[in-house]
Amino acid sequence: MRKILLLCIVLAGTLKVKADDGTKLFYALRTKILTVKDYTADVKMKIDVSFMRVPQLRGTLYFKAPDKMRLERNGGLSMLPKKNINLTISNLIPSGNVTVIDMGPVTVKGKKLRLLKAIPEDDMANIILTKIWVDEANLVATRAETTTRNDGTVIMDLDFGHYTNYGLPDKVTIYMNVKDYKLPKGVTMDYNDETEATKAPKSASQGPQKGTIEINYLKYAINTGLSDDKFGKR
Amino acid sequence: MIQLLHIELFKIFKRPRTYISFGIVTAITFVIQLAMLTDGKGFVNFALSGVNEQFDIQGNILNGYLIAYIILQSLLIHIPLLVALVAGDALAGEANAGTLRLLLTKPIARYKLVLMKFTGAFIYTVLLIVWLAVVALFLSLLLFGKGDMINLKSEAFVMILQDDVMWRYALAFAFAVLAMTTIASMSLLLSAFADNSIGPIIATMGIVVVLTILSNLELPLFTIIKPYLFTTHMIAWKGFFDAPIPYYAIGRSALVLVIYTIGFLAATVWYFNKKDIKS
Amino acid sequence: MRMLLGLIFPDAGQIFIDGTEFNNSRRHLLGKIGAIIERPDMYGYLTGWENLKMFATLSDKHIKHDRLHEVLEIVGLKGREHDKFKAYSQGMKQRLGIAIALVHKPDLLILDEPTNGLDPQGIAEMRGLIRSLSRDHGKTILISSHLLYEIEQVATSMIVLHKGRKVTEGKVNDLLNPDETLVDITMTGNAGPVIAGSQWAAGLVAQGDNSFTFKMNPAHIPALNRWLVGEGIDVAEIRSRHSLEAYFLSLTDDSITAHRAV
Repeated sequence: MRKILLLCIVLAGTLKVKADDGTKLFYALRTKILTVKDYTADVKMKIDVSFMRVPQLRGTLYFKAPDKMRLERNGGLSMLPKKNINLTISNLIPSGNVTVIDMGPVTVKGKKLRLLKAIPEDDMANIILTKIWVDEANLVATRAETTTRNDGTVIMDLDFGHYTNYGLPDKVTIYMNVKDYKLPKGVTMDYNDETEATKAPKSASQGPQKGTIEINYLKYAINTGLSDDKFGKR
Repeated sequence: MIQLLHIELFKIFKRPRTYISFGIVTAITFVIQLAMLTDGKGFVNFALSGVNEQFDIQGNILNGYLIAYIILQSLLIHIPLLVALVAGDALAGEANAGTLRLLLTKPIARYKLVLMKFTGAFIYTVLLIVWLAVVALFLSLLLFGKGDMINLKSEAFVMILQDDVMWRYALAFAFAVLAMTTIASMSLLLSAFADNSIGPIIATMGIVVVLTILSNLELPLFTIIKPYLFTTHMIAWKGFFDAPIPYYAIGRSALVLVIYTIGFLAATVWYFNKKDIKS
Repeated sequence: MRMLLGLIFPDAGQIFIDGTEFNNSRRHLLGKIGAIIERPDMYGYLTGWENLKMFATLSDKHIKHDRLHEVLEIVGLKGREHDKFKAYSQGMKQRLGIAIALVHKPDLLILDEPTNGLDPQGIAEMRGLIRSLSRDHGKTILISSHLLYEIEQVATSMIVLHKGRKVTEGKVNDLLNPDETLVDITMTGNAGPVIAGSQWAAGLVAQGDNSFTFKMNPAHIPALNRWLVGEGIDVAEIRSRHSLEAYFLSLTDDSITAHRAV
């Protein structure tokens, strides 16, 4: 960890001029993101984890800064990743004072973006490092790659459209590590259908697996002053 | 033919013993429902521990659909006993009571009698499963409400949307009828061999228990014979709660069960046709 | 009996009923037969009426309710038909069995041991019923029984089977000689030599310590008794066996003293 920090400091020293621009950009971006205090959105959520066979979920997603989130599905089950890997970009960006390293312009899928690395100054923060790809023209982050202390690395892709002004995406794709899941066979008494489809993921189930969550935001209602009760029991 | 069936059903449903099965189904269902009402949360937390570490699942997890699945899972192993109570008794019970003697001095072909006994047992099985659906599914829905259904498999966590569940249950119950009909036909064959009904009932249960154990043993030797045991295929109803549904495997299981049923029935007719009625 | 009804299958041979081979037209023939095989077992959880109605339906003919009432009347179960079968006495069960055997107006009744398990009164009732069925209803009735006295009283023709083989057959009146019966006499004292030297010795067929069995005309019993007393022999008991029994034993004489059926 110290090595990385040292390396970063060295890098920071060499790219001082650019870093200042990067820092400004980062804070501007964060400010914009933080203007959204809460929102209510109709969403379609697709969870793609090898051991989870969950259909596309439609529901209403409630968010309240900084970290309250709830999916309401009209009597159905709500299923969200655990709290610290939140579905909002605000949770993937370090808070407080941040050391920003400007990695310069990059082109992703034909779009000119600027890559920033943000390191929180608080050593105890869950986030160790966040790489942010920023669309400077619209002042939105189209991708964030956050390395956390407890939850591995989380990557978030954001596609913007109707709500660019608020920095809110139309579509978010989250890539994360998931632990393997297994119940003893005796407990479940499976019907072993012996098809290849069910056998395939077995080989891949060693070690941590990749999981993807894809959320399509259909309609936002922003800053309506959601009360905490909305997030209920916790 | 219709009259014969009418008589068979009349006999089945005039007997107190027939209703014991319905009582047992109701009682076990109640017990599970009661246990789930009082201790369901703990059960769900235990079952979901693998998923809960990384996902936060909220809402009515312990809904009627899940309860019904739990009930089916634990009860369907025991339904063969209840089916055997009627099917195993069908011929042997009459032999024991001496009524078979009188019955066979009437101008009825023996194969028709066997077919009617089978049809009677089948209708009883259907009604038993329908009753199971009523208490296990509809009563659970009443007690625990609706919701998305989760299905915990050993290697996967399956979630089914609530408006996508009912048709799966319809198919699952239909499959359960098929599986239990296989049991009924086996029980009837055992019944033809015996002159008292305890034997076939116990034998049916013994065969089901032993074969179920073989079906679930993860040993190489048993893996070879597993696909040929009907008990392996009796739980194919669970396939309807998977995503995607393994239709091919379920279809094959259904075929195996149908073949077994026809085989048992043919053997019963063949044996009973040449049996000396000495009781 | 069971073979006649197709319950068990013969190892060899064929069965003809009314000139028709049984196996080829089993259904047709069974429709014309009514039967009770040993015990009249029926469904205990059903009422007499339900049992009767059910077996009537199975007889392959359309049978009206009137007919059910009619047979209940014949067997004397009227008024008790709605009791559960298991609550019936043995005699009532047997009578319901007859009702079921009769209900489809069969040409032939086969009764296998119809008096099995009946008390003396039941046996007498059954006898009356069989007689009336034959006389008043014109049925042919095939009865098997080991109660020879019962057969003697109701049968017109008979076949004697011994150890699975036919010994004889014919009209009861022809076969039974009313002038000849077996008489068992128990007496005290050393009667053997006395009898051996008398005219009665010709009729002596078996001899024990104190018991002697004579084959003789029953009309001569008083004379024999008088003679024994005159010879100074105390007679403890004189018992005349039933005629059919006597006849049966005479046909199968290896067991004259062994079988003392009452």
